[in-house]
Parts: sequence; structure tokens; C-alpha cells
Amino acid sequence: MMMFDRRLLMNYGWALFILIFTFSVIGLVNLYSASFQSEHYVFKKQLVWVTLGLIGMILLSFLDFKTIKRYTTHIYTITIIVLIMTLLFGKEVAGSKSWISFGHLISIQPSEFAKLAIIIALAKFYDNDFEPGPYGIRDLVKPILIVAIPIALVMLQPDLGTAFLIILISGSIVFFMGIRFKSLILLFIVIIGVSFSGWHFLFKDYQKQRIATFIDSSQDPLGSGYNAIQSQIAVGSGKVLGKGFKAGSQTQLRFIPAQKTDFIFSVLAEEWGFIGGITTLVIYFLIILWILDTASRSKEKFTMLTCFGIAAMYFWHIVINVGMVIGILPVTGVPMLLLSYGGSSTIASLLGIGIVLGIRMRRTPLVKDALDLA
Amino acid sequence: MKEYKNKLIIATVILIQAFVILAGRMWYMQILKGNEYEKFSRDNRVRITRFPAPRGRILDRRGRELVINRSSFDVYILPNDVKDVDSISNSLSNTLEIDAGEIKKKISEAFEANRFIPTPIAKDINRDQLAYIEARKISLQGVFIQVNHTREYPYREIGAPFIGYLGRASKEDISRHPNLARDALVGKDGVERSADEYLVGDDGYTQTITDAHGREVKWRLLQKDLRSQDSVPGADVVLSIDIDLQKSAEESLGERAGAVVAVDVRTGELLALVSHPTFNPEDFIDSMDSRKWNKLMSSSKSPLLNRATQGLYAPGSVFKIVTASAALNEGVINSHSRFYCPGSYRIGNRTFRCWKKGGHGLLNLHQAIVQSCDVYFYRVAEKLGISRFAKYIRGFGFGAPTGIALNERAGIAPSKEWKLDKLKKPWYVGETIITSIGQGYLSVSPLQVALMTASIANGGTLLRPQIVKKVTSPDGEVLLNLSPQQNGRIPVNEEAINVIMKALKGVVNDPGGTGWASRLDNIEVAGKTGTAQVVALNTISDKISHKDHAWFTSYAPADNPEIAVTVIVEHGGGGGAVAAPVVKRILETYFRLKEEGNV
Repeated sequence: MMMFDRRLLMNYGWALFILIFTFSVIGLVNLYSASFQSEHYVFKKQLVWVTLGLIGMILLSFLDFKTIKRYTTHIYTITIIVLIMTLLFGKEVAGSKSWISFGHLISIQPSEFAKLAIIIALAKFYDNDFEPGPYGIRDLVKPILIVAIPIALVMLQPDLGTAFLIILISGSIVFFMGIRFKSLILLFIVIIGVSFSGWHFLFKDYQKQRIATFIDSSQDPLGSGYNAIQSQIAVGSGKVLGKGFKAGSQTQLRFIPAQKTDFIFSVLAEEWGFIGGITTLVIYFLIILWILDTASRSKEKFTMLTCFGIAAMYFWHIVINVGMVIGILPVTGVPMLLLSYGGSSTIASLLGIGIVLGIRMRRTPLVKDALDLA
Repeated sequence: MKEYKNKLIIATVILIQAFVILAGRMWYMQILKGNEYEKFSRDNRVRITRFPAPRGRILDRRGRELVINRSSFDVYILPNDVKDVDSISNSLSNTLEIDAGEIKKKISEAFEANRFIPTPIAKDINRDQLAYIEARKISLQGVFIQVNHTREYPYREIGAPFIGYLGRASKEDISRHPNLARDALVGKDGVERSADEYLVGDDGYTQTITDAHGREVKWRLLQKDLRSQDSVPGADVVLSIDIDLQKSAEESLGERAGAVVAVDVRTGELLALVSHPTFNPEDFIDSMDSRKWNKLMSSSKSPLLNRATQGLYAPGSVFKIVTASAALNEGVINSHSRFYCPGSYRIGNRTFRCWKKGGHGLLNLHQAIVQSCDVYFYRVAEKLGISRFAKYIRGFGFGAPTGIALNERAGIAPSKEWKLDKLKKPWYVGETIITSIGQGYLSVSPLQVALMTASIANGGTLLRPQIVKKVTSPDGEVLLNLSPQQNGRIPVNEEAINVIMKALKGVVNDPGGTGWASRLDNIEVAGKTGTAQVVALNTISDKISHKDHAWFTSYAPADNPEIAVTVIVEHGGGGGAVAAPVVKRILETYFRLKEEGNV
């Protein structure tokens, strides 16, 4: 399974590796400033998660993607089982049953890993299919089911942010592969119909309240509306050069709630200014570009779509999160990958990069594989 | 796989577009609007605590305190610290006797405006209320007491018309003094208003850093641009008024409606200024309740009107001083010119009566002034004509503001041009005739009459009246010393003035003089009586009454004048009988004070 061929190292995606490593360091430094005053454990834990994530990324990059492809169904099935277990035995935090905890120190959020599983499952589906697109609704029954089951499970937690992101990521893949216009309309009608019946029969009142606030944050002016204003003040007052490390008044005086998680980018923009914020965004976009480049060099649909899906995952996370922080999108519970505090999302996003690195490394079929084909 | 290349290129374009949008928005926020956001972020964390500066005192000419400050315990609410609006509202409502709903409304309004700025709930609470609130500091979280300064007027109504009163600062006031606190009181009338710029102090403040929960943070990194400042008390304003003379003048006028002006004829300093009925300035401080306010505003006696400077009346016979001066100076008559008074004078088909039905017989100017013969002045005015006459009316300062630092009204100095301009009608000779005895279109303030009298007494200088003498800083440094000022000279030669002065002395001292009632034991007084005919509605009987306004204007000592005193008693009757005794009492006080070495 593990193949340590010298050519692999020559083909290794060092650029992506360095970008990701740099970004992880930026994330840790920024998180330290956001939490050092009262919560030292936050930085320490995140340091452990990032280290574990980077190790996992490197290990995963040496795993042949053919293995992943072979076990896709298993991975997907296990993910679904874990999501069901989360609903049954999960720990409730802030009204959502999204965590499975192992002791009081470690709890994981399976829905973060589910994103990767869904991407791989969709890639596998299209890889098997030899008909070219665009696809009609009948062709799409299977991928819709692949996506709908985990979404339903995540919605029940309820974790609207993650469910919404799964829709965006898988939607991007489906759209990328092509879909007939009529089917697209039909799909929308079905989604709306399901949402309505779900609203009336499935959700409890507190869940409805959360959904309502998710959709329209102005319903909760002293909650997320306040967050949005304070976040924008933080970003704007950072000006060109920022207020300096550990010197952001909005951050250090706790005017930004959730500043370790969802609003972490406002901490960075306040303390490091336009220069720091833009530099971070550029690195982030370079990572996505690099993943897309890997996709375009792929020789088969599975690897291309897996890369594309992971690129979409990074893309939607950054657009929705930064858009929220700078006040052009509503306030939603979507973390900023590798900046926000959180083990599951950090490790899952680094594992995603590991998969891409592995694909990149093997973009030229090795002699041995060629022989296999023959 | 080639077919997907183009799609990936499209994806890359979308990616770049998203980057441009995010980066563009950050450019807008951090570079274009950075300074605005920086201000918001500063307002978020910087909390300002004010130390109100005491307002300057108002003193009389001998340094006696007419207006001072005392401590006032005021109740404030800091919206951000409020935990339970209902319990606070109810609790405060009980002790402060304010409607709980009103308190609730104030809190929620303040919360919306800026939850870090304290809002006042009640002012000047008593000791019991203070004890109640202090004892409940824990349950009344968000409520605090601040010691402010409030105005105290030890003499109450005495001097109120020129002292004025305070009121809540309006939007314009705050735009003039940007440092004013939201609930600051500023002068709304009288010297409190005209000298407001000196009286108002500079509030002190400290700035502290607070976190999102309102807790103070002592963090050097964020404290570098904090400022603080001690409060600077306002300057004291010293008036020209002598409060003893003022008291005497108010007592002399008593409960009657009217006005008194006492002015130093050498400098124009006002020594007493009475307007009655009046008000108590203290009523305005604790945001006067609407019932009290309506009563003040709607009273037919208009207590807020300063009758001495804003009250406009027909001058009646005191105006004969002007008529005589004009005629002498124009050479229409000399001191020997005689006219015969048969009791009336007929011009065309109109008959103008003298106040003395039987007539005065043949008399010269001196006798005409002493006995206040109307017909003599009818004849003089007929010869003088309105055009020349009008020049002198204005020359004595009528129809124009005196320049006093109080609200005043200019009144009317009639002339041909004035009538054509305002009433679009030509001038009639008969109107010249009645103007000569201070009736008709003429309308003057008691202050203008006092200054006219002073201009004769000082030999021709029309003074600019002065109420503020100087301004001194709290540590005694003189910031402003106002020297006497003039509004020019009256257009009358010295000889004519001497004739008039002799006659005015005769009014009081000659047998048969109309001002007999103002004579003093040891000092000669000069003056002129006036009885202004008015038509007024008697509020009690609802009948039109014809009780005339009583005037007396005077100066003393007659040969070396120091002080001019003018009195009007509304609907008092004859000037000689009613107003002259008032003047007498005031002059007595003046000279007694002078003897004691106190003026």
C-alpha cells in the first residue's frame, strides 16, 4: 500500500505543503492572540490538533488514492453510521447534538469528516458512470441520495451551517458535471418541498428558532446582529497595518463573540490590518488554485472530482466565513478552515489536503501501474 | 478528460472574482472607511466620566451673592449595567415618585442611543431618597448617584427679571458649546443668559477603558491615547446692581404691577431694575412641571416679561422733557416764551384739552413744565412740526434698543416716514399735538425714559446702560472690566439743558409743582410726573377701565446729579400722587446707603 518511490518525492506537492504549513502557523499565532488572556488550553489543544492533522496529511498523501477509491463505499457507510450515533449518543453543545465525546477533553464533530466522505462518494459515482453529461434527474437519483442522507442527519442535530455547506459543496460537484436545466428546476422544487414538510413535522420549536436566526440574523439583534456589527468594527478599525499582535481592542476587550471560532478572521484583520488580511486571503486562494491545478492535471474523473470537491470545500468555507466577518453575508455558524479553533474541522481539512497531495504525487502513472494495466 | 479543462478554467475565474469581491470589501472597510471604524472601536471601549464644573456666581456691585451653587444629588442610570429593568423601574418609582413606565421608557431610550452613556433619571433628590438608593446598591445595579451643582437664588424673586433663569440646553446651545453635557442647564434669560459664556465652566472628565461587559480594564497598551481633565469652574459675574437698593425699590413698588429703573447718571450703571409681578428663578431648575410653566406663561400679568426693558408704554407727560428740549434747541421758543392756556386748544375742528379743565392761564416754559400744562406744549409742538420733532425723539434714544445686555424692546419713535411706512397713511397735525404730551403712537420702555432723564442730568450724554460691571475668575483675577459706554449725545445745547434742569427742579420743589410728593428732607430732587392715558380691560369686572399709568422720572441731587430713578405703576392713576412717593423712598435708601459709605 505505502510506496516509497523516489519519484514520488520528486513529484511531491512541496508548494502546497509549504502553503498549508505557513497557513497553519498563521492560524496558531492568530488563535493565540484571540485566547491567551484567559484560555491557555485553547492554543495548546489547537497546537495538538494541527500537529496531528499535519501528520495525518503527510501519511494520507502517501496512501495510493486507488485504495481510497476502493474503500469509498466503506468510508461512506461508516460515516453515515457515525452520524446516526451522534444523534443517539452525542453531546449537546449550545443546542446542537453535533459532538461525540471521549472523556471531557476530546470530542469530535463527525459532520466535519462527513464532507470528505461525501466528496469521495460523489467522485466515485461519476467515475463509474461512462455517459457524458449533462445529466437528467433520473441519472441523479443516486448522487442525490448520497448527499441527502448525511444532510438530513446533520439537519437533525441541528447544524444548519454544516448542512448548508454540504449542499454547496456537493451542489458544486453536481453542477460541475452538468445537469439538465429541467432537472435543475425539478431539484429546486423537491428541495423546497422537503424543507417545508421538514419545517412542519420534523423540527422542534427550539430548532425552528435556530433555523430562523440562521436565515435572518436581524431577528436576534443583540445576538448575531451585534456580532456582525462588532466584527465589522474590528475589521475596519484595523486599517492598513492593523493594531498589532495582541493589541486589537475589539478582540482583547471581548467585543467580538465567538472570536476563537466563527469570527476568528476579524481578529486577524483587526490586529494585522489590510496587509495581514489580504496576505492571508492570498495564501488561501493560492491553496485553492493549486488544488484546482491538480484537478486539471488529473487523468481520471475520480481524482479530478475529489480535488475539485476539496477545492469547493475550501472555497465555500472561506467565502461564507469571510463574507460574514466583513458584513456582506449573513451570520452563520461556518468556521474558517485552519484559522478557527476546532480539532475536527482542522484535522478534516488537513486530511483533505493530504488526499490532494497524494493525487498530485501520482499524477503521472508509475511504470508499475502501467504494467498493471497491461 | 479534456472536456473538463474549460470547466476548471471557469471555476478558476469564479474563484478569482470571489477573491476580488472579498479583497475589495476589505479595501473599502480598512482603507477607505478605516478612520470611521476606528472611531466606533474607540467609542466602544472608552468610557467618559464627567465632573461637572460649577457655574460662576452672580454678585451685586458690593460682592453679595445673588446666585450661588449648592450640591445636588442626581440619579443616573448606566444602561449597559442594568440587569433588571422592571425591578429598577418599580423600586425607583416608589422612592422618587416618578411613574415606573416613564423610568422604563427612559432606560430603553438610553439603551438604544448609547448603552455606555449615563442618562439622568431624577435631579436633586432629598436625603431620604438618597439613603434609600444607596442602601440598595446591589439590587439597583446600573443606578448610581452623581453629585452635581445646582443653582440657588438666595434672594428668590428679588432681581429675577435681570438675573434670569436656567433651562435644559437646547440643540442650538449644544452646538454652540460642544462640551456641554447632555443634561446641562444653560441660561435662558437675564444675565444667566447674556453672560452665559463667562458663567459656564469647563466640565472635567476622565476616560477609562472598559471591555465588552462594561468592566474597567487597566491595560497599558490600550491606554496610551486616554485623556483626562480637571473641571474649571465658571467665572463670577459682578453686576452694577446694589441689592439693598433693589430690595428697597421692590418694596416701594410693593404688590402693584409696574417697573423701576435706577441708573447712575455718570456711568450708565444700573443700580436697581424692578419688574413686577415676577417669578422665582429656582422654579425653573428641576425641570419645571408643566402646570407651573403654563401658569407662568398664560398669566395675564405676564410675570416673565421684564417690564423695565420689554414693557412698552405711552410716556405721558414725562415726554414733555423731550418736547421742551427740541423746541428750545430749534429756537421755536426761548425760556421766556409765553402761551395762554384756557383749558383747551383747537386745531381745525378738533379740540385738545388740558388736564386742568379751568386752564393754567398765561405761563412761560418753566411754569408749563412745573404745572405740566398740556396746552403750552400743544402750541410748541404746532410750531415745531413733526419733522424737526421726530429728530429729537430719536435723538433721546427712543425707538432704538439701548444696548443693554438683557432682552429689550425698542418701542416706537413716530415720524411722518414711520407712519407712511408702517401704516401707509399720511401724518396729521393733531398727531404732532398729542405726541408732544407723550401720547399717540409713542411707545417707550421705562429704561429708555430713565436714560432720557439721565442724559439731561449729566449734561447731554446718552448712556449705554450697563448691568454687568465685571467678570472675575474663581481665583479673583479680573477677566473683563466693562467701562461706561455711550450711545452718543442728545442733540440739545447746554443752555437749553440748563433751562430744563431748572424746571425739573421746580416740578418737585416749587409750590404747586406736580412732583411735590418726591421731596426729600435734605437733598434736592428734580423730576417730572406723567400720567399716561390707557384703555385697559379690567379682568375682574370685565369692564374697560380708564385708570391711567402713573409715571415719575427723576434725578438727584438736583444740582449735582448722581442717580436717575424712573417709576411706572401700571393703572396706578396720577403720576404725582402714585409714582412720586415710590421714587422718594428709593432715593431715601440711596442717600442713606451713600451716607453709610456703601454705594
